[in-house]
Amino acid sequence: MSVTFHIPGALREFTAGHSTVEIEHSPATLADALSALWTLYPGVRDRIATEQGQVREHINIFIGDENVRYTGGLASPIPARSEISIVPAVSGG
Amino acid sequence: MIGQMLGHCRVVAKIGEGGMGIVYRAYDEVLHRDVAVKVVNKDLRLDSSASQSLLHEARASSSLAHPNICTVHEVGETDGELYIVMELVEGKSLRAMSTDAGLPPESVLRYGVQIASALARAHDRGIVHRDLKTANIVVTSHGLVKVLDFGLAKQVGGGIFEGTTRSFATIQDASSVSGTLPYMAPEILRGDAADYRSDLWALGVVLYEAASGRLPFGGRTGFEISSAIMREIPNPLGPPVPPGLWAIIQRCLTKEPIQRYQRAGEVQAALEAVQSAGIASTSPSADRGAPRTTVLHSVRHAQVRKGDFLLLLGTTKGAFILRSNAQRSRWEVGGPYFHGHSVYAMAFDNRGGRHRIWASTASYWGTLLRSSDDFGKSWTNPQQATIRFPSDTGVSLKNIWQIALGRPEEPNVLYCGVEPAALFETRDAGETWSLLRGLFDHQHRPRWMPGNGGLALHTILLDPADNQRMYVAISAGGVYRTNDGGLTWTAQNQGIRAMTMPDKYPEFGQCVHKIAMHPARPHRLFLQSHWGLYRSDNCAENWLDIANGVPSDFGFAMLAHPRNPDCVYIVPVESDEFRCACDGRLRVYRTRNGGVSWEPLMRGLPQKRAYETVLRDAMTADSFDPVGLYFGTRSGQLFGSRDEGRTWQKILEGLPSVVCVRNAVVEGASGGLGPTLPKAATASLHHTKSLSKSKTRRPKR
Repeated sequence: MSVTFHIPGALREFTAGHSTVEIEHSPATLADALSALWTLYPGVRDRIATEQGQVREHINIFIGDENVRYTGGLASPIPARSEISIVPAVSGG
Repeated sequence: MIGQMLGHCRVVAKIGEGGMGIVYRAYDEVLHRDVAVKVVNKDLRLDSSASQSLLHEARASSSLAHPNICTVHEVGETDGELYIVMELVEGKSLRAMSTDAGLPPESVLRYGVQIASALARAHDRGIVHRDLKTANIVVTSHGLVKVLDFGLAKQVGGGIFEGTTRSFATIQDASSVSGTLPYMAPEILRGDAADYRSDLWALGVVLYEAASGRLPFGGRTGFEISSAIMREIPNPLGPPVPPGLWAIIQRCLTKEPIQRYQRAGEVQAALEAVQSAGIASTSPSADRGAPRTTVLHSVRHAQVRKGDFLLLLGTTKGAFILRSNAQRSRWEVGGPYFHGHSVYAMAFDNRGGRHRIWASTASYWGTLLRSSDDFGKSWTNPQQATIRFPSDTGVSLKNIWQIALGRPEEPNVLYCGVEPAALFETRDAGETWSLLRGLFDHQHRPRWMPGNGGLALHTILLDPADNQRMYVAISAGGVYRTNDGGLTWTAQNQGIRAMTMPDKYPEFGQCVHKIAMHPARPHRLFLQSHWGLYRSDNCAENWLDIANGVPSDFGFAMLAHPRNPDCVYIVPVESDEFRCACDGRLRVYRTRNGGVSWEPLMRGLPQKRAYETVLRDAMTADSFDPVGLYFGTRSGQLFGSRDEGRTWQKILEGLPSVVCVRNAVVEGASGGLGPTLPKAATASLHHTKSLSKSKTRRPKR
């Protein structure tokens, strides 16, 4: 069962312009899904995660409607046919 | 072939193969550099005159010094092996990058401008590429385009059908013409000679393929492809390809050469005009109807020419490049670059004949070091961040506060000071960076404390008289010095007060805001601390208080006069709590006696309700005589003085908060200069009143 990533405009330069990216296999966790995403599109990795592998402070990732900060972070389970959204947080000045 | 010598190059490994020959990675044992060597396929059966012609052509193309052309270093013949030694370019071919959906239009434009610029240079020298195709174009990890194999196609007959892409891999009917069929212009298929305009046709095919992921003229056989090239009109490219880009591609793909662009420079200018006009971020159809924000990027570029004077402005929302000439009276503004990203550090590197602008960008999406070799028209955007902490440190990069050039004799060395406090070094002009462990593993580091702006290494000074000595300043860690090229570091803070600590004179932990060194007297340093002004005359062994008669010894910016080692400029702010110009009067203070006394410089600066702040890197001095000074404020104003600070004028206002100001004189630049500059970039956003009428002289060198 595939999962689908929704890619924000700022990162489409690194996904050949695609606003959605489908991962064919069934990742067990968010970490697996992200790993599959940046195998396909390596430029996305450093924009979403720090060099230590943590999701950047002002980036939110949602599985469906749920922010992964409340579902186990990178260990969050990925149900089949999930839609994963990558969204910059509401912050700044 | 592996291990053999070709000329003075030892072959290391095979890296590719095509119809023309095999390409090897090799090491030049005389010049100590990695190179690529193409050994021409013997099966091409070149007779001696064809061999001589190929050598001649390769030698001609070796004269093409251009940042977007893969340099041919040498051509030669050994034991019957004809070989070409070239710059080793590491990256991905545009063919490999042009995936099914095509590249985003921004990338197509960025790469297209660079390809056109390379063609313009070659055409100016009378060299036609003859085999331009996406497989011959490599994009490095920094986004720099390199066009390969200039002028090499002509002499090798039908043997170079190496790059027939995708479904065209089985073309059998190679004729006597040279080139790769899907990229061939109709006139070549008709048997006419290739000229510049055939390259521009191929450029049209390349742009089409990059933008859409498919070739404009397809077919299952060579006959079908030839027929399509001769007769068919390519399928139109709609969104996200902007209409302007599609129009350029169409004109390149006009069947009659006379109706195409006549010069590569025209294509470059047209592509740049589309870039400047802005591209609406058109989402693919899946997003239609969904709420979204469309950001219109409208970026103007300064037209930079040899002899120009530049100001580089980093702000909390992007970067700007201001262009003027030696008069420094009228300013043309390029930018904003990196919309919405903080640019805390910029630098201009003119060593080794380059003219590269560096900028650090920080945003939600991380912190990156970017560079431009064409004065901002295109910037690198590396797939992977080049400055990154090793995994064993457990630390992540937050910001890059300082970009410092290495010594003139080491033109590929640069340093970056970052947050959290650490020093990175590159020895290959920014391709790869490494953490200097001597400082990072210092026993003091766990006890350094972040200031208001974070725990930042914000200042890097290299001693011009001692190539092993370097200083850094950390807020709040203090001053550290190395005498052994960065292996070991010592705290050098004796005499500097730490107002926020119980021990007022600790070994380290002072919140040093800036240090400045005079190149002619490098053992003398000046220091602006969180509270306090100091001078050291002994390489920072100890520091003397020089806050003699300033309204406040709190401040950020500090600047050494480029010629007078007794002269330093500061911009005091009122206090730790109220970090604004004292009494709402914006005044630069200058000492001309090493800090024995200070004088205010305020003519032309606002003296009422000017609650301004000048941050630590937001002031710079040029190399003219008299010296020009420039500073930007947190409120987004830029001021300048052409008479060493005696009088000031406002250059710009309405900028985002200015955090970095640097200057540069463009000398002996190549590429991106001269008559091929786009008309679209000629409009300046802002011309200001003359700064002053005083006579200016050329910079002292």
